[in-house]
Formats: sequence, structure tokens, C-alpha cells
Amino acid sequence: MNGNDRQDENQGNRAMATDSELSARLRRLETQIDRKRPPAAPDPSPRPGSSGAQSSLGQAMTLSTEFIAGVIAGAILGWTFDHFLGTKPWGMIVFLMLGFVTGVYNILRLSGFSGAKNRKDP
Amino acid sequence: MAASIDPIHQFELQPLVSLGHIGNQQIAFTQSALYMFAAVGVIALITIVGTAGRSVVPGRMQALAEIFYEFIADTVHQATGDKEQRFLPLVFSLFMFVLVLNMFGMIPYAFAVTSHLIITFGLAFLVISTVVVYGVMKHGSHFLGLFIPAGVPKPLLLIMVPIEIVSFISRPISLSVRLFANILAGHIALKIFAFFVAQLLLAGAWSVLAPLPLFLTIALTALEFLVAALQAYVFATLTAVYLADALHPGH
Repeated sequence: MNGNDRQDENQGNRAMATDSELSARLRRLETQIDRKRPPAAPDPSPRPGSSGAQSSLGQAMTLSTEFIAGVIAGAILGWTFDHFLGTKPWGMIVFLMLGFVTGVYNILRLSGFSGAKNRKDP
Repeated sequence: MAASIDPIHQFELQPLVSLGHIGNQQIAFTQSALYMFAAVGVIALITIVGTAGRSVVPGRMQALAEIFYEFIADTVHQATGDKEQRFLPLVFSLFMFVLVLNMFGMIPYAFAVTSHLIITFGLAFLVISTVVVYGVMKHGSHFLGLFIPAGVPKPLLLIMVPIEIVSFISRPISLSVRLFANILAGHIALKIFAFFVAQLLLAGAWSVLAPLPLFLTIALTALEFLVAALQAYVFATLTAVYLADALHPGH
């Protein structure tokens, strides 16, 4: 009980910290978040062809193929599953959805919205 | 004369020498195979003649060969970070093959081999098999670390691992479809716009407009040359990126 009260008091004190202290803490937090974040979008390595001047048409083509490839891969996997395991509609349903997710994930990774892509670097 | 437009006709395979039948399927030496042999011949010419002199101040051929070599060596080094450049021969061959075939396709009346999905998929499948075989050979079961994205909380792995696996399987598909779709679409667009010129010229008073699609065709031709080179480059870069996975899978 007593300890809890003291903790509350402490927090109350901290809340009254001056504005400058707060802004300093905010800035520190921001730099920490920045450090945790994956390096900014135009990370050179895994995105091919994007060396500066890829036309938007080319980029659209790349992204759409990437998405379609994900869906097709899901469909192929689902079909194979069903064919060999005899789970007629279920493999296709599950893997087609998984393929859709993969397509979206591929696009996110290529356009640099996801942090998962810097796994290519050792 | 309203000649029917048939932009797909240019992609038809024509058997040159029949080699017999398997079932009902004719096995033939097609013009596609002929173009591939020609491409290999041109590449061999560039590289062999280019490296024959080995002069300090390169001649034309040697400069050409050196440009290609250094370009690909740079790409492979950037993607894989591999000092030994183990995969340089593979990437270089693929790049030259695709580039020369794309450029052959740009010659009027020539056949664009890379506009056939089976060709590009064959190349992409070669790349992915190399990644899998080399990765398993070198890292054994550690190669499966490729499917575990770094820095993802444990419960999420349940979803992420299947996604990564499907993503891996989608790689050869996207690699092949990208090259094939670009070349196919480009050639069809060229054919259609060129056909507009002829149609407009035959359309009486409307023939004043004929230069418009003509200019567009010229612009498209330039664009197609760019696409031909760019797609060969993209193919080579992606190959190098995927091969990098075989060298250092996951963490």
C-alpha cells in the first residue's frame, strides 16, 4: 500500500517536469524510434532496377507482376495440395488467401513500407 | 482493303526442321531455337574476340566486352557482397543471353524469343534451382532460416513463415512473368500502332492524321530498346539478389 502511494507520488512529480525537459525527452524518443526503424525506403540493395530513374510505368509493371506472382504461387500450391492430399476445396481456399497476402506483402516490401526486407544483408 | 489486324502472329513458332514426333506432339527445331543459337554465337563472338587481343588500350570489341563484364561484376558484387564472385559466370551468361535475345527481337521481322513464357520461366527456374541446391549444399538445414524474417515476434512467425514460403515460390514466377510480359506487351503495342499508320493512310481524308501514330511508333521503338536493355538488367540484378540468399540465408 505504502509503496504504491509513493510510486504514485513519484509519477506525479515527473508529470510536473518542465516543458523543456519534456521536449528533450520527446526528441530522445524520436531518435530512438528512428534508430529502430529500417533504413529509409530507397535502400539500394534488394530493389533492383530502381536505381534512380525507373519510370513510373516500369514500377507499376514490377509491382503488379509481383502481386500477381504471389497469387499464382498460392493457387499452384493450393492446387497441388488438393491434388495429392484430396482435401478438395480447402487447400485452394487457404493457399489462395495466403497467396493474396503474399502478394500484398511483396508489394509492401518492394516499395519499402515494411521493415522485413533488410534481412537480405547479413 | 481492310486487312485484319493480327498482332499475335509474330509470336508463332515455325518449325524449321522436324525431328520426329512424341505422341501427337511434333518435336522440331523451330526458329526460336535458331535465334537462341544465334544469340549464343553473338555472345561467344563478343567475348572471345573481345578477350583475344588483351591489349592494355582496348580496341572496340575489347571495350565492349569489358563494359559488359565490369557492369555485371559490379552488380553481382553489390547484391551478394561476395569477394570470390562465385556466381558471376551464371549471372553474366544470363544477362548476355537475355540482352542479346531482347535486342534480336527489336530487329524488324525478327522473332522475340523472350516473349515466350516457357523460355523465361526456364531461365528463372534455373536461377531458383541454383539458389536451393547451393543453399542446401552450403548451409544444410540453416538454409531454412531464409523463411524466418528477422526481428519478428514469436507468435507472428506462425503467419509470417507460410507467407515467406509462398513468397519464395512466387519468385521464379514474378521473375519470368516480368520479362515475358514486358517483351510481349511491347511488341504487341508496336505492331498495333504501326498498323494504325497503314489503316489511316487507306482511310481517305483521314490520312492527314497518319503521321500521328507514326511518331508514336518511333517513340515506342525507342522505348522498347530501353525496355529490352532494362529488363535484361533487372533480370540479372534479381538473379544476383536471389543468389545472395543462397550465400547468406536469414540470420
